[in-house]
Amino acid sequence: MTSEDPGPLIRLFGLTGGRARPQGEAFDLVAIVTTIGMPFEPAELIPEHLAVLTLCRRPTPVADVAVHLKLPLNITRVILGDLRRDGFVAIDRPKPAAQTIDERIYREVLHGLRSL
Amino acid sequence: MGYAAFEAATGEAASALAIKILIAGGFGVGKTTMVGAISEIRPLHTEELLSDRGIGVDDTSGVESKTTTTVALDFGRITIRDGLWLYLFGTPGQDRFWFMWDELSVGALGAVVLADTRRLQDCFPAVDYFEQRGIPFVVAVNCFDGAKRHEPEKVRRALGLGTATPVLLTDVRDRASVKEVLTTLVTYAVEGVVTV
Repeated sequence: MTSEDPGPLIRLFGLTGGRARPQGEAFDLVAIVTTIGMPFEPAELIPEHLAVLTLCRRPTPVADVAVHLKLPLNITRVILGDLRRDGFVAIDRPKPAAQTIDERIYREVLHGLRSL
Repeated sequence: MGYAAFEAATGEAASALAIKILIAGGFGVGKTTMVGAISEIRPLHTEELLSDRGIGVDDTSGVESKTTTTVALDFGRITIRDGLWLYLFGTPGQDRFWFMWDELSVGALGAVVLADTRRLQDCFPAVDYFEQRGIPFVVAVNCFDGAKRHEPEKVRRALGLGTATPVLLTDVRDRASVKEVLTTLVTYAVEGVVTV
């Protein structure tokens, strides 16, 4: 590790104040994030926070937020944890797939896969 | 923040569903290629930063415990419709990242174990892992160019799998072949959960 450039690492941890774990209750990589509030002065938010709040007006999985921000998943999760703490986003507690998939969703998934 | 607004937002979120499928197997078996063959986005390769806390969970040797390290994680996405997605996560190949598998597998619908018959033993840990945790999985034997084609039944026996576990031959570069693997997994995983 020592021979590698630590620059990107330091920059990313700068976004999270050095934290590698999100605030509060743990949430899954595919938990659904939804914007539930905006600060009075959105312009004062760091760009990453503003980008999340804009994107998640439509419920969006955590993994997709990472794609959008072009950031590693766990850095994204720290950012989301902060936004949840501040009351700007809700992050659902995902149920096991086996409990959420009913026959209708199963049919939709099969049909969707076959028509790819 | 208004309470009514909160309720409305969470109600909408509850109807959105992202289904997680894991793609496991030994290093270089074609996990990322498989994700790439079917994902609507280029497979995302992220270097996940791990704190010493994360590493320490499974590693009792202490060698890694003071280091911040990175683990490569690849994933892809298939949008079924607005509000319904499949996510394919390639699991890290190295054994020292088992704790990451634990996190990835929580709530997952199931897993594809990719096997290379030239080094079948590489997928033993994945098979053991999913068997122990009761996560439905299918074994997809990647037919590399030049690799001897094995009968699925021989692979089943070599891996000590029961008759219920699907074993398929696949070409991870071929979209239709990957589709077949995924539809087989989804069908296998929901059997016994919903009546189909």
